[in-house]
Amino acid sequence: MALGALTLKWFWYSILCILCWGGWTILAKLGSERIPAEAAQFLFAWGMLPVAVVLLASRRFRLEKNAKGIFYSVAGGVLAAIGGWALFAAYRTGGSTSVITVVTAMYPLFSVLLAMLVLRERLTRLHVVGLAFAAGAFVIFAL
Amino acid sequence: MHLAPWFWSSFVVLTTWGVVGLLQKLSTNEISAESALIWLVVGFFLVTPVFYPGKVLFSYDWRSLVYVLGSAVLNAVGAWALLAAMKNGGKASIVVPLTALYPLVLLLAAPIILRESISLLQAAGVVSALIAIVLLST
Repeated sequence: MALGALTLKWFWYSILCILCWGGWTILAKLGSERIPAEAAQFLFAWGMLPVAVVLLASRRFRLEKNAKGIFYSVAGGVLAAIGGWALFAAYRTGGSTSVITVVTAMYPLFSVLLAMLVLRERLTRLHVVGLAFAAGAFVIFAL
Repeated sequence: MHLAPWFWSSFVVLTTWGVVGLLQKLSTNEISAESALIWLVVGFFLVTPVFYPGKVLFSYDWRSLVYVLGSAVLNAVGAWALLAAMKNGGKASIVVPLTALYPLVLLLAAPIILRESISLLQAAGVVSALIAIVLLST
């Protein structure tokens, strides 16, 4: 990435994303210390609502009516919520927040494997090297 | 082999969010990213009643409630920023691996805010995992 990227909008949006998601994990850990995982996940959905409303307003309250797209998104939301609950539960075990956050951030591992099985996508060389590093990390954390 | 207490919860996160990654790809083939995010929140609310803790919710420490609500807002704003980066000319092949580095913020902040440290072996695992995250996100 060249220094020129520093003047580009997308670069700073990406940095905002990193800071927000970094902040999300820190606050999620702090919040989970005194609230059970179920209650935390219940509140989490309500915290996302204002952002969804702003996005909806930005689209003048009009959404596409593509049944497939809606189904995939809603199903994604259900699974994301279950995963979110599990993340709060993992934080509550008292394990290292850094290790738990990094391990759970490896979820593209499953996306890549599923894309291969379901979408018949082929693994790139970078994916194969990534899978090897992921396997190495799992072995280290299991020691 | 002794598995840490957090292992199975983290495994649920990995598998469910792994499927979410695939579903997001399928959904954005059909609808806009903004619509996909809005319907994703609808999916969140379908499961939310299952997690309803009852009246006891209001008896929890208010700071913890603020932390959880704040974490949700940051999560959603982060997702919006990712979409905005792509909309403003960022290539997915660069933006996605770049934003996948979000655990670095926590790694830098954990010793100060959470007063946590990690062993050298764990640090090696973290480095290996970060490389994997970037490569798998391409």
